[in-house]
Amino acid sequence: MAQPGLIYWKSEVNGVETVLSVSPSLRLIDLLRDKLELTGPKLSCGIGRCGACMVLLDGKPVNACLVMAYQCSGKRITTVEGISGQELHPIQQAFLTEGGFQCGYCTPGMIVTLKALLDENPSPSRGELEAGLCGNLCRCTGYGGIERAVRQFVKARSGTEPTTSGELAAGMDAH
Amino acid sequence: MRLSKSASDDRWHVRPDGVGKVTGELKYLTDMRLPGMLHGKVLRSPHPHAWILSIRTEKASRLPGVHAVITHEDVPGMNRFGIAFPDQPALCEDRVRYVGDAVAAVAAETEELAEYALGLIEVDYEPLPVIDSPEAGLDPAAPKLHPAGNVLHRTNYKRGDAEEAFSRCAYVVEGTYETPRQMHTYLETEGGLFVPEPHGRLTIYSATQHGFKDRMQLSRILGMPEACIRVVSSPIGGSFGGKDELNVQPYGALLALKSGKPVKMHNTRKESVRAGIKRHPMKIRMKTGIDGEGRIIAHQVRITADTGAYATLGAPVLNFATEHASGPYRIGHVDIEGISVYTNNGVSGEFRGFGGNQVVFAMEGQMDRLAEAAGIDPWQLRHINLRGMGDPGPFAQRIVQTDGARQVWASVAECALWSNRHDRSGRPEEPWLRIGTGAAITMHGAGLGFGIPDPAGGTLRLTADGKIQAAFGYEEFGQGLLASLELMLKDLFCCAAGDLEIVIGDTDRVPHSGSSTASRATSMMWMALQRMKGPFKSRLLGKASELTGLPAERLETGPGGVYEKGGEGPLVTYKEVAAACGEPLSTHTEFHYPTTPDAIMGAHYLYTYAAVCVKVMVNLLTGRVKVLDQYHAVAAGPVINPQGYLGQIEGGSVMALGFTLTEDALMDGGQYVTKNLDTYLIPTLSDIHERFELHAIEELPEGDSFGPRGVGEVGSVALAPAIVSAIHDATGVRIAKLPVSPEKLQRHFARILAGEGEEAS
Ligand code: FES
Ligand code: FES
Repeated sequence: MAQPGLIYWKSEVNGVETVLSVSPSLRLIDLLRDKLELTGPKLSCGIGRCGACMVLLDGKPVNACLVMAYQCSGKRITTVEGISGQELHPIQQAFLTEGGFQCGYCTPGMIVTLKALLDENPSPSRGELEAGLCGNLCRCTGYGGIERAVRQFVKARSGTEPTTSGELAAGMDAH
Repeated sequence: MRLSKSASDDRWHVRPDGVGKVTGELKYLTDMRLPGMLHGKVLRSPHPHAWILSIRTEKASRLPGVHAVITHEDVPGMNRFGIAFPDQPALCEDRVRYVGDAVAAVAAETEELAEYALGLIEVDYEPLPVIDSPEAGLDPAAPKLHPAGNVLHRTNYKRGDAEEAFSRCAYVVEGTYETPRQMHTYLETEGGLFVPEPHGRLTIYSATQHGFKDRMQLSRILGMPEACIRVVSSPIGGSFGGKDELNVQPYGALLALKSGKPVKMHNTRKESVRAGIKRHPMKIRMKTGIDGEGRIIAHQVRITADTGAYATLGAPVLNFATEHASGPYRIGHVDIEGISVYTNNGVSGEFRGFGGNQVVFAMEGQMDRLAEAAGIDPWQLRHINLRGMGDPGPFAQRIVQTDGARQVWASVAECALWSNRHDRSGRPEEPWLRIGTGAAITMHGAGLGFGIPDPAGGTLRLTADGKIQAAFGYEEFGQGLLASLELMLKDLFCCAAGDLEIVIGDTDRVPHSGSSTASRATSMMWMALQRMKGPFKSRLLGKASELTGLPAERLETGPGGVYEKGGEGPLVTYKEVAAACGEPLSTHTEFHYPTTPDAIMGAHYLYTYAAVCVKVMVNLLTGRVKVLDQYHAVAAGPVINPQGYLGQIEGGSVMALGFTLTEDALMDGGQYVTKNLDTYLIPTLSDIHERFELHAIEELPEGDSFGPRGVGEVGSVALAPAIVSAIHDATGVRIAKLPVSPEKLQRHFARILAGEGEEAS
């Protein structure tokens, strides 16, 4: 039973059945960071622009700063902490070897978004990658290392090079 | 070398802090929490400028769950902070000077409650006229923001007689350049955890680039001995200069002491925008003249910087801009004046590039204009004027010689991007898309400069459990300092990563080694290790010699312990050596960052050089500019950590891309118009093109003892003028104000598209 003023919240978080009494005005990001101490998802802009708070909701990336906790009750939630098993996920591994991060504050959100993107589309074109990562900001790397990590991951998984920028440039308009 | 993973072999290094970062396990200081902790919030001024008539906190204090409410009356020590010149009140007494000014703060059991309590604090203000630009601040009728008036700092540098020299010039160009209020936009906003400890000590877990400087300032504010304060300051989710100044620390500390409980603070992004420092907006007038051979003979510069409400590093930033306003060129007659003016705009302070970005944008613009006026190739014009080995620095001071200027110049001259700039093949068919190429060059001083205390140092120890411990007072804010240090130590001791223990970012555990700023940390760690390696190794091998009976000359350090030279497997482990030592084996060094022998305030001694070439595509219909290709040449001595080096140049250049094309923390009447990342636009992946080449020039003159130079800032300096030059190449339009405004470009292009020619400015 939930306490007065609170709601009953039950979800599977990183594979673990989790039950809480929470305020109906609680954002998912606060539930994760403050109540469950899952601080992998970061809070940066609070308005859905930076992607630092990205988590998977039933496998789809969402900004945890934009959804209310109650909206996620009964759903499957995966944070960056739930992405790796015994071993690092190959995307995480690629970030490590290619230098896909510096301060690392954007990294959990990046990895979560990329996991969803690459699960759905194992060999994205540059344009698809741009679209997929348009909601994830990184201030440190200039995206060079992140892009190398993705290419490395795609190559390792499929044995093929992702679409090169040359093809992309031909059809490109400057915004 | 072309810097890339494949060219770096095994020096391409997985960072020691990497796993924690990619798994989300790493706890940043803003992720920390303790049972029973309170949440701190700051009440900031709604007015950019006002008298405070009264502050009433009773209602907030009476609220159940509120444990502390503080105002200026609760500041036991000096109610001022500021890294160079302490003029910013921790909590304002009688007057507010910008919308980030703090008037009160609250610690409560939940964040919501703290927020609610802020609303119960009653402050009566009497608004004052707002000074919203340096020009307004300089008006003799303007109210004085500080006792000494509205001028924070003036600079002046003269060599020769510029006025007279202009009369001898074949070509003279004049331009006024403007640069934006750029925001650091570190993704981790300011915050931390403030913990009162037994025996009256206080532990502060909060980001800074200089833990000891924070400790000193907090000791003044709290009226508490420095020894009672411990500052833990790493890891940090980005800084770029923006967290060097105190931000939430005074409030967290005061609230923790008053409530006797741990207090957590974490600024929202909106609050971070409002209260945080920014890059100085500057207006730069330049008049530059060349003779018939293209030699610059006269250069006049007037810099006006908007330093905002408080000093912070406004004066040193202006000094730096003044020093770098002549670029890497030999000029006979120079006349530079700078002024930094207080306003009621947000506070301007330290930001990657430190004032160099602004003036280099202007100087390189002048070079392009002169080249055009004289009909000389712009890169050739630079060559004619470039400083050579043996030439003094921009203030005619003695500097450490390298051939960096010519090396980076030649690198760009030879690169494919520049060589093929006139090749029209492969250009878009669409008549509204134009392609152009541009290039720019810079020199960039490292270290704090002459006349400013800039201590460095470090400690090496063999710990009881057999680790080689290196302790430095530097901070990891993402730049890869830990990785660089690990690589240097592995080079020195040929040991394994597991033999090392690196200690940084904790004033209780590290020596004073100066700040992690001004592209100095890698150089200072390298120089410190050069000083310590001899004594440390000889004592370590001496002990091993006693243990093994072999002479020390036949021994060497390696993975896990000490080896006989060429032998297999360690003869003694580090742990055995440590156990045999009566007292712990340790070496310490303290020295000063190398400075020029010429007593010129702020003048630098060590410089890094960089040149950039870019290709852009301009859409004449939308006024949008896209960078298609970049080539960077950087001369900074040996590459210690290729991944970090590449990352710094890539990251710096994308930050500069934002500075050039989209970023401006707009203010209107002292209020921020851009309050969050929905209107303050930093580059995303789609703004970046994959083509990026970095040529790292490692050669230093024979006998150079200064080793690797810093690269933390230089990648952010020369991109803006290169892009603007490329826009001109593509369209004929010259831009003098950043960020480049698509609306303005559209207006120019409307004329071009209407067939009225391409001459516009
Ligand atoms: S914090 Fe959620 S998108 Fe920025
Ligand atoms: S690594 Fe710092 S924001 Fe991406």
